[in-house]
Amino acid sequence: MAPSQAAHVPTLDGLIKSFNNRTLESSIEALIFLLKRRQVKGDECAKATAHILRQVVAKSKWTDVDQLLSRIQSAGSRLVRAAPLEPVIGNVVRRVLGLIRDEASEDRNADDLASEAASDIQSLTPSTHPPQRPGPAPIRPSPSVISTGLQVSKSMFNLLSVADPGDSPMTGASTPMSQAQPASVHALRSEVMDGIEEILDEINQADDQIAGFADIQIHPGDYVLAYQPSRTVERFLVKAASKRRFTVIIASLLNPDGAAEAPYATLRKKLNAAGVDTINLASNGLMAYIPRVNKVIFSAKAVYQNGGLLVDSGSCIAAQAAHEYLKPVIALCPVYKFCPEDPSDEVSRGELGNPSSYVSYANGPAVEALDVENTVTDYIPPELIDVYLTNLGPQTRHHLASILADHYKTEDIGFSLQLGEP
Amino acid sequence: GRRPSSPMLEKDIRGAIPDCFSHVPMAKRIPTSQAHKDVHPAVLAVGQQMATFALNDSISRLKATLLAFRKVIESYETPKGNSLSRHFVPHVLNPQIEYLTECRPMCFAMGNAIRLLKGKVNKFDIDTAEDEAKDGLLEWIDFLIKERITLAEYAIARNAAQSINEGDTILTYSRHRLVEKTLLEAKRDGKSFDVTVIDDPFERNGQELAKTLRQAGIPVLYSPNLGGLRPKVAAASNVFLGGEAIFANGSLHAPSGTADVAMAAMNAGVKVIVLCETINFDRDRVSVDSLTYNEIDPERNTADCFRLLFDNTHDKYITGVITEFESGGGNSPAQAI
Repeated sequence: MAPSQAAHVPTLDGLIKSFNNRTLESSIEALIFLLKRRQVKGDECAKATAHILRQVVAKSKWTDVDQLLSRIQSAGSRLVRAAPLEPVIGNVVRRVLGLIRDEASEDRNADDLASEAASDIQSLTPSTHPPQRPGPAPIRPSPSVISTGLQVSKSMFNLLSVADPGDSPMTGASTPMSQAQPASVHALRSEVMDGIEEILDEINQADDQIAGFADIQIHPGDYVLAYQPSRTVERFLVKAASKRRFTVIIASLLNPDGAAEAPYATLRKKLNAAGVDTINLASNGLMAYIPRVNKVIFSAKAVYQNGGLLVDSGSCIAAQAAHEYLKPVIALCPVYKFCPEDPSDEVSRGELGNPSSYVSYANGPAVEALDVENTVTDYIPPELIDVYLTNLGPQTRHHLASILADHYKTEDIGFSLQLGEP
Repeated sequence: GRRPSSPMLEKDIRGAIPDCFSHVPMAKRIPTSQAHKDVHPAVLAVGQQMATFALNDSISRLKATLLAFRKVIESYETPKGNSLSRHFVPHVLNPQIEYLTECRPMCFAMGNAIRLLKGKVNKFDIDTAEDEAKDGLLEWIDFLIKERITLAEYAIARNAAQSINEGDTILTYSRHRLVEKTLLEAKRDGKSFDVTVIDDPFERNGQELAKTLRQAGIPVLYSPNLGGLRPKVAAASNVFLGGEAIFANGSLHAPSGTADVAMAAMNAGVKVIVLCETINFDRDRVSVDSLTYNEIDPERNTADCFRLLFDNTHDKYITGVITEFESGGGNSPAQAI
């Protein structure tokens, strides 16, 4: 890529600010453009997705819960398709879908308890839906087995009604309805918007919350191998440095030769200022250093249902080496990175990146005839991970299921499966 | 390829080494003017080449050292009242060895050869005529080069090539002379197979190997770093690795990254075959981790980066070792030395 292009890369913050002045469609298109060009990636994807879904709730036309769900699903699946190797997008979409379902059923329950007019309920619930029995207001943590079963069957109806929006009796009447929107739709809109705001807060605070556990994990005198430290890891280390004296060994596959600035200069400056020594490794293999290392820390791009991780390439080498020497492997993973699905074959093979920084194609036919594979993501199997450090605290792989159950609705888990149909 | 490093004072260079690695030695450039006056010009040249890594792998260093020692022996004249067997080693050979060690820590093959050479000298009777002794030593050096380097290389490549099957995918790390010979030999035998070359992005020697193999008509998949190692290793039928030395406990001393590849392969159930000349076997030393015997990369030893040149592959990650004499486990006794 020509260096002049780099100057024109729009930032995510700039894009989010521009959402208010754009139409919904142009906002979505702008984000999809950035996702496809990988100018928004990793943690930023979660933020961007939450912001855009907030726009969908605020700006798109919907008059009942099912319409809203289908708007979110269709916008969400466009984003997921734009960046199929960024699982956090799907996670945030699922979270928002779950949020809407929660808010809607809370409304229904409130309505039922207050014995309000049945027509209001009618406008909120799909006509095909079985009559909802009054019950205790569902709280977000895992629904009982029976209600899960019910929700699954409901989702089947949703699938059908989503497939053909014409089914919905409200669609045709959208214009008159928008002038006389039921108060409950209005309330739902603001509740969902608040809910998305909460998700955004969670995303923004996750790094700090994880850093809060730093002094438990890092002990005085430790040699901590930080693999390609992300912002999450940086915050964690800096927080630990405020309380502990230890040494950070930074490893990465990013080639420091020829770079204008030494890698991780800012992080190292911060750590050094706090009295923490840093060693920047210019090394591919990590087994050589592991005898000296007490623990390995890196952040996950995604955590799968089985406990496997999607990570920056090379992290797997670090985890494997540490595992061999029985040194703890700590993966920093905010809850929004937990995916309620298993890794695909594509994930375990790894994503391929641009090889031209390693191979000069100017070298002629000898190089052109080579198959060059620069893998930029790795998959780490769960048995190599000792601690999943989430913003809710440290977890082991045996308890990941409860985190997933707490944060996703069963009917939304198959969300990405619906992506097959455009 | 390596960049020539800017000449710096030795103190400054060592000063940058993190304390926890301060026991690890490092090659350094000694201006020829500062070398001991007894150092032979041929040895001076070899020392410089070692310090700058122009001579890098153990066998090229061994060969260059032996050829330089040949010159030392040729120009040696026993002072009056001395005998070669008593005078040569302490007064002539040792200063050469000290100088070479100062330039770069000796490799284990050099240690072996020097021990053999000293033993040879000691065996001469005190009355042996100087010419006879010198001819004996020169002949012995020629024999050592022929047997333990030239023929060894041929025999190992031969044996290893036979273990490659039609349709195999052979994975290797960086570039090792024996692995390269083996793959080209197998290709000449008419076998068709694929090669995956995993490289070290800080050295990029593997790229040369990849090009050479490609030119020989072997399909090559080149991976510039250890990213995605697990799936790549799992797709291979064999992993071929070269080494600098094998210790008495069977562990392999090889370029940093080798251990990571071997471990990934073993975990994926893929055979790991090490190719190594017996002159590289060190039967006196035991190494259980990479920090016992290692070297700091003098090119990458600044406040901003640090790198060790070697790592230690435990023998449980090695399926077999192919030497010029026999093939077996890493800790099975290799003949001779």
